[in-house]
Amino acid sequence: MIERLFALLPRRKGAAAIVPERSVAGHTLLLMITIMSFLSAVTLGGVVLVQKSAIAWSADVGREVTIQIQPVADEVMDSNLRTAVTLAETTPGVASARALSIEESQALLEPWLGEGLDLSSIEIPRLVVVQLADPANADIESLERNLATINGASLDTHAAWRQQLNTMAGTLVLSGLLVLVLIGAATVLAIIFATRGAMATNREIVDVLHYIGASNKFIAGEFQGRFLSIGLQGGLLGAVATLLFFAAIGAAAGNMLSSEAGAQVGVLFGRFALGVDGLIWVVAVVPVIAALTAITSRMTVRRFLSEMS
Amino acid sequence: MIEFSDVGLRYGNGPEVLRDLTFSVEPGSFHFLTGPSGAGKTSLLRLLLLSVKPSRGRVTMFGEDVSDLTHDRLLQMRRHIGIVFQEFRLLDHLTTFENVALPLRVLGQAESEYRPNVTELLEWVGLGERMNALPSLLSGGEKQRAAIARAVIARPKVLLADEPTGNVDPELSSRLVHLFAELNRTLGMTIILATHELPLLDKFNYPRMLLTKGELVIHD
Repeated sequence: MIERLFALLPRRKGAAAIVPERSVAGHTLLLMITIMSFLSAVTLGGVVLVQKSAIAWSADVGREVTIQIQPVADEVMDSNLRTAVTLAETTPGVASARALSIEESQALLEPWLGEGLDLSSIEIPRLVVVQLADPANADIESLERNLATINGASLDTHAAWRQQLNTMAGTLVLSGLLVLVLIGAATVLAIIFATRGAMATNREIVDVLHYIGASNKFIAGEFQGRFLSIGLQGGLLGAVATLLFFAAIGAAAGNMLSSEAGAQVGVLFGRFALGVDGLIWVVAVVPVIAALTAITSRMTVRRFLSEMS
Repeated sequence: MIEFSDVGLRYGNGPEVLRDLTFSVEPGSFHFLTGPSGAGKTSLLRLLLLSVKPSRGRVTMFGEDVSDLTHDRLLQMRRHIGIVFQEFRLLDHLTTFENVALPLRVLGQAESEYRPNVTELLEWVGLGERMNALPSLLSGGEKQRAAIARAVIARPKVLLADEPTGNVDPELSSRLVHLFAELNRTLGMTIILATHELPLLDKFNYPRMLLTKGELVIHD
């Protein structure tokens, strides 16, 4: 089917292919390039997803800071909470500040202490959630200084978490890019072997072309045309398979997100939606793979021809 | 047009397959190249086709010493030389028309440019009705005429033929040599035709180059 579509592509009018289409180990190479394109596109898509999720998560966390107030003897917790909220609200770049109620604070401890415990008899640390209007220009240092006047108060900017998240995301992105390079190298090697095989199979054609005065450039161009076509087909099939893969993963993740555990996965990894930029990267695999195939085969053919002469 | 002076040829470190060849070929002439099998006819044709360079001596073609030619210049000169093989060497997946048009495609001509010329030549060699046939459907004589048409379509100055009658019957051999003679007479093409068929040599009174054990013993 796909080959029929490609047969409709414009070619030099009336001129039959000098390199027979069936002689270039087409199906095997097409399958190999399709698989490589799929792996490349999935890796690229994964890199885009990780990066987007990391940026979004980091931005979310960065828009919020938390004031923690430890219970201290002879200090009135509610008074300290009010002071902290006031200090926060008067700090430049802060949108709002809200002290968590005692019930909300107890609920935060339930995962560690279990449900149904009566915590009213003990003092627990209390939190003030501060939303930043402008994280870049918020005067966090000033807030930190002012909070020093409250006994037991401390400020958590989540900087350590953000740093760890960014490091992890950066490592994943770099690993993805390394995998891409390895896939590219494997593709190039496979194309080199396929091209040399095709040249050996078509030695008679190469000889005849040489005898009638064809330049190495002309002969390389004829072989490159065949490989470009196979590269385009493989790249396109790989990209389509990748889009289907991400659509399936996205649908599966959508079902998962209805559960609580799925929601946490969703928070960490986003909704597996590639977005426009992700789609562009996946589609960009097609011309890149086609060009890689064409250039590699052309260089291999020219090397083969120079070895012959 | 072609001058050989004390030319020797060996492949690698092997013995000389051609020795002390000295002769010249004038433009528009027709020569039979003959000799027993293994005498070196094909090696001499390879020298003339510029697909190998002499191990010693001097070969001058179209006024240039072939030993000094760059790869690109060699390629340009080869376009002035047509070659016909005993085993035709047509490309099986191309039609007769496409096979004959190949040298013009190599020269960068578009089909609209070369179609009239190719069609006319195919009519001339009697293959007008077989233009769209694949080589596998052609008879031996038709294949050889297609191969000759391919060799001359780009109007080379020199036409080399390596045992072109080797795979056809005697009557057809004679007709093929008539075709070469016609090309020589009408287009002024220099022709060197290698054959070991003595009846042909007797029938057509052209100068002979007789090779024996790598040496030219007669050149008249």
